[in-house]
Amino acid sequence: MDIIVCIKRVPQTAEAEVSIDSTGKSIQKDRLTFDMNESDTYALEEAVLLKEKFEGNITVLSLGYPDTDDTLRIALAKGADNAIRIKAENFENPDAFQTAQILKSVIKTINFDIILTGCIATDDAYSQIGVTLAELLEIPHAALVIKVDANEQRTHVHRELEEGLIEHLDIKLPALLTILTGINEPRYASLIAIRRAAKKEIQQLGKENIELEDLVINSVIEELYVPPVTKQVEILTGSPSETATKLAGIVKEKGLI
Amino acid sequence: MNFALSNDQKMLRDEVRKFAENELAPIAPEIDISGEFPKESIKKLAEMGLLGIVVPEKYGGSEFDFVSLAIAIEEISRACASTGVITAVNNSLTTYPILKFGNEEQKEKYLPDLCSGKKIGAIGITEPNAGSDVAAMETTAVLDEDHYILNGAKRFITNGTEAGIFVVFAYTNKELKHKGITAFIVERDTPGFSLGKHEDLMGIRATGNCELVFEDCKIPKENLLGELGQGFFICMNTLDVSRIDIGAQAVGISQAALDEAVKYSKERVTFGKPICKFGMIQNMLAEMATQIHAARMLVYYAAWCKDAGIKRFSKEAAMAKYYAANISVDVTRKAVQIFGGYGYTKDYPVERFYRDAKILELYEGTSEIQKLVIANELVR
Amino acid sequence: MTELFVLIEHRKGEIRDISFELLTCAKKIAEKENLNVTALLLGSKTDQIIDKIKNYAHKIYLFDDPVFENFNSEIYQKNLSDIIKKESPLLTLIGHTAFGMDLCPALATELNIPFSTDCLNLTFEDKKLKVTRQMFDGKLNTHEILRENPSYIITIRAGSFPAVEGNFNAEIVKLSPKETTEPEYRKFVEYIEAAIGDVDITKSDVVIGIGRGIREQENLEMIEELAASIGGVVGCSRPIVDADWLPKDRQVGSSGKIVKPKLYIAIGISGAFQHVMGMKNSDTIIAINKDPNAPIFNEADYGIVDDLMKVVPILKEKILEMK
Ligand SMILES: Cc1cc2nc3c(=O)[nH]c(=O)nc-3n(C[C@H](O)[C@H](O)[C@H](O)COP(=O)(O)OP(=O)(O)OC[C@H]3O[C@@H](n4cnc5c(N)ncnc54)[C@H](O)[C@@H]3O)c2cc1C
Ligand SMILES: Cc1cc2nc3c(=O)[nH]c(=O)nc-3n(C[C@H](O)[C@H](O)[C@H](O)COP(=O)(O)OP(=O)(O)OC[C@H]3O[C@@H](n4cnc5c(N)ncnc54)[C@H](O)[C@@H]3O)c2cc1C
Repeated sequence: MDIIVCIKRVPQTAEAEVSIDSTGKSIQKDRLTFDMNESDTYALEEAVLLKEKFEGNITVLSLGYPDTDDTLRIALAKGADNAIRIKAENFENPDAFQTAQILKSVIKTINFDIILTGCIATDDAYSQIGVTLAELLEIPHAALVIKVDANEQRTHVHRELEEGLIEHLDIKLPALLTILTGINEPRYASLIAIRRAAKKEIQQLGKENIELEDLVINSVIEELYVPPVTKQVEILTGSPSETATKLAGIVKEKGLI
Repeated sequence: MNFALSNDQKMLRDEVRKFAENELAPIAPEIDISGEFPKESIKKLAEMGLLGIVVPEKYGGSEFDFVSLAIAIEEISRACASTGVITAVNNSLTTYPILKFGNEEQKEKYLPDLCSGKKIGAIGITEPNAGSDVAAMETTAVLDEDHYILNGAKRFITNGTEAGIFVVFAYTNKELKHKGITAFIVERDTPGFSLGKHEDLMGIRATGNCELVFEDCKIPKENLLGELGQGFFICMNTLDVSRIDIGAQAVGISQAALDEAVKYSKERVTFGKPICKFGMIQNMLAEMATQIHAARMLVYYAAWCKDAGIKRFSKEAAMAKYYAANISVDVTRKAVQIFGGYGYTKDYPVERFYRDAKILELYEGTSEIQKLVIANELVR
Repeated sequence: MTELFVLIEHRKGEIRDISFELLTCAKKIAEKENLNVTALLLGSKTDQIIDKIKNYAHKIYLFDDPVFENFNSEIYQKNLSDIIKKESPLLTLIGHTAFGMDLCPALATELNIPFSTDCLNLTFEDKKLKVTRQMFDGKLNTHEILRENPSYIITIRAGSFPAVEGNFNAEIVKLSPKETTEPEYRKFVEYIEAAIGDVDITKSDVVIGIGRGIREQENLEMIEELAASIGGVVGCSRPIVDADWLPKDRQVGSSGKIVKPKLYIAIGISGAFQHVMGMKNSDTIIAINKDPNAPIFNEADYGIVDDLMKVVPILKEKILEMK
């Protein structure tokens, strides 16, 4: 079973200070750490689990800047066989739709049974790429997948809907699945695997190496801004013991204890 | 000259850092208090191949170089100093001497288990009456047909309570002085081998530190490591390597202290300003950062000497260990200082770093002994 | 008049709240841009749903067939692309839900219509569609301009437009579906209900929600003790369930439970919208987070910016003292 996993290198912003850069359209990146997008790590692990079951080949693919090689190399160490970086520096700030079109042009030249992507990138949060890509490739898809049970021709999948409800589907391969966190337990790369992966070539594809149709842009970012405060929070200040005392007081005042 | 890490070293650092932050750091405060040996963490270290970092793949190791070993110990120690030294002892004080001085049968028998975490390694040099003065040891090994009979006790043994494989030093011929010391591989379940007092330590509290007691402990002759009378040489040669990793441990602990200090100094406000705006605080932060950087360079350089095949690097290793240990105590002290009174409480991790750092000036040769090594090389 | 389409979302015969929110959003835009709000309802046995939405739209296009009983993005896509092609609405609104995320990108791509997803707001400026979205874990907003086109498709984040009933009386137009056989390449098998556990977090007056900030499973004990001191239950964010530290029925949020307790204490939770959707209607919200810029503080009434490991044990003691 040949699998393609699309991966994005993203800044880790959940616990970091995020500030807007001088263009007003992007963020200051120099103080942030970058890593594989969270749901992509689950997509990669799912690919490795499928490969362990069916054998075959895993290709990881990313449209990214040169430092994306680090992320792809870790993907190789975690079980991917080939890695391809499409040079983002050859494209001018591609939006999600353009990204999907570029990925499609490259994927067209690769054999695959399943394409896995993360269900959302934590930086731009579109949740578009996977499903768009499936449509461009004219293959079936399922978004928000939390269980994959495949055979060579078809796969049963569980999609997670709202309130914990699960939708069970039966899909014909080749297909594209967007993977939700929690589907498996992503592994750390072992040192041996790191050593082997470090020596592997990462294929670099520039614009000139890809047969592109006319790229269509769907949207451009006009500005980034700090969200307006919608609800005025009262921040309790002081040492932990002071804040905890104030808080306990509020809880009591509300008649909850 | 090239200061850049190679691809595999960089990947190792990133992955070990992530692993250590996610899996080790969260339990570090807890095992510091309980003193409980982190068995589950060790299993995870084994899965990643962190227990036999420089051991060739054919013996179950990861086959990395000594710079990589230092980087791994640094990153692990940054998250948890106890786990850092547990890993260092397994790597450079147990697997390394077996790899370097063991015969083929011994390597095949012991290294895979040490690399897979099936058995943990420990080393027994120190005794109640022999610390800095290794040759003052009193443990003896007497040949009796096809066995050696070991008698004596070893003190302060890291991993002691959990280990399955021990490298132990004993006199086979007291008259030959240090040339009469021999190294042995002792398995935990050998008759006559028992554990003594469990130490209640100031820092690195979860390292299973205890006494080893040998009472007519009968070990097979084939467990002699290296050659008869080669023990002292093996011990010193091993310490040259392991001191690099203690230096790495010091760098890791110091880095953790600096990270916390920087963060806190931006948050804590006095006299209407975050304290990081005060010159005296900045002075400390700048000193800490520079000290850590210098220590890291000394450590990497000593490891590089080993990788480059340079025969004698005792001085470089001693310098790395001495300096890194020294600044680690200073850096962690400054971190506590920057935290003010809060730094002295268990609400923040810096008091733990301060306690953890102190051991660095003591084990694997005190700072005085490191200076002795350095000076001896100078005036030789 | 130019059309504004709204796709009605329903599940197991029940209309979903997002549909009313989309219709409310549609009405606002329709008034400004002088559009005709048409609800697209693909379903089977739809009388009840029609009843509920007819005040919200000028027109309802009804595709009635048993195949529409359960959502299947492929078959929805075939019928929707046909009607959108025919009528070229200026805008088609879809919920940014499990259903919309599976459908919208494929539908818009097939039609070559510019689209955006997870939008909080949208306006037309000089014929150009401008949307408001969130990025970087909800820490920044963006304004984005879509490629100019006669027709757009947008998915809207749940909760962005609180439902306000309209005063229309929709004309119901029955259309015959273009495609009513489920494709063999994507077949619906069944719905699987979430397992029911020992604690029902939707029934408690106090819910302590914990997130990735607790770092370690062992710290749950401390949270359980806090919950016990107030007489509440412990809920959590998704990563806690992903890590198997708590069962799925404790998850608060869009793919978990919606809770409306008297008091919700979010501890070590960043405040991703999927989580916020599950707790924002609580009477009082308290957040404890070490990151002063965590979006959860936009939802909270009271906040403590500090390490939860320090605050929680003391909080428990103080509450026990005051009891
Ligand atoms: C937590 C911990 C873990 C340890 N782990 C291990 C282990 O795994 N295996 C093992 O074998 N040992 C271990 N040790 C032992 C450690 O290596 C010794 O404690 C150390 O070598 C010092 O020996 P000592 O304690 O006997 O001090 P002593 O040798 O008694 O030294 C006392 C003081 O005198 C100074 N001094 C001694 N000789 C000289 C000299 N010639 N010139 C100047 N000053 C001198 C020393 O620097 C020190 O300040 C551990 C110790 C601790 C505390
Ligand atoms: C389709 C879909 C459905 C989803 N459904 C849900 C859902 O139903 N419910 C849900 O919760 N999520 C859901 N998510 C996930 C959601 O997007 C977020 O990823 C998730 O809510 C983040 O959880 P968190 O806040 O616990 O973790 P993080 O975002 O990682 O935040 C952790 C927070 O803890 C703080 N912190 C860390 N350490 C400490 C400390 N010592 N003291 C104090 N604070 C600390 C940090 O500052 C940070 O703000 C869904 C995602 C998708 C794509």
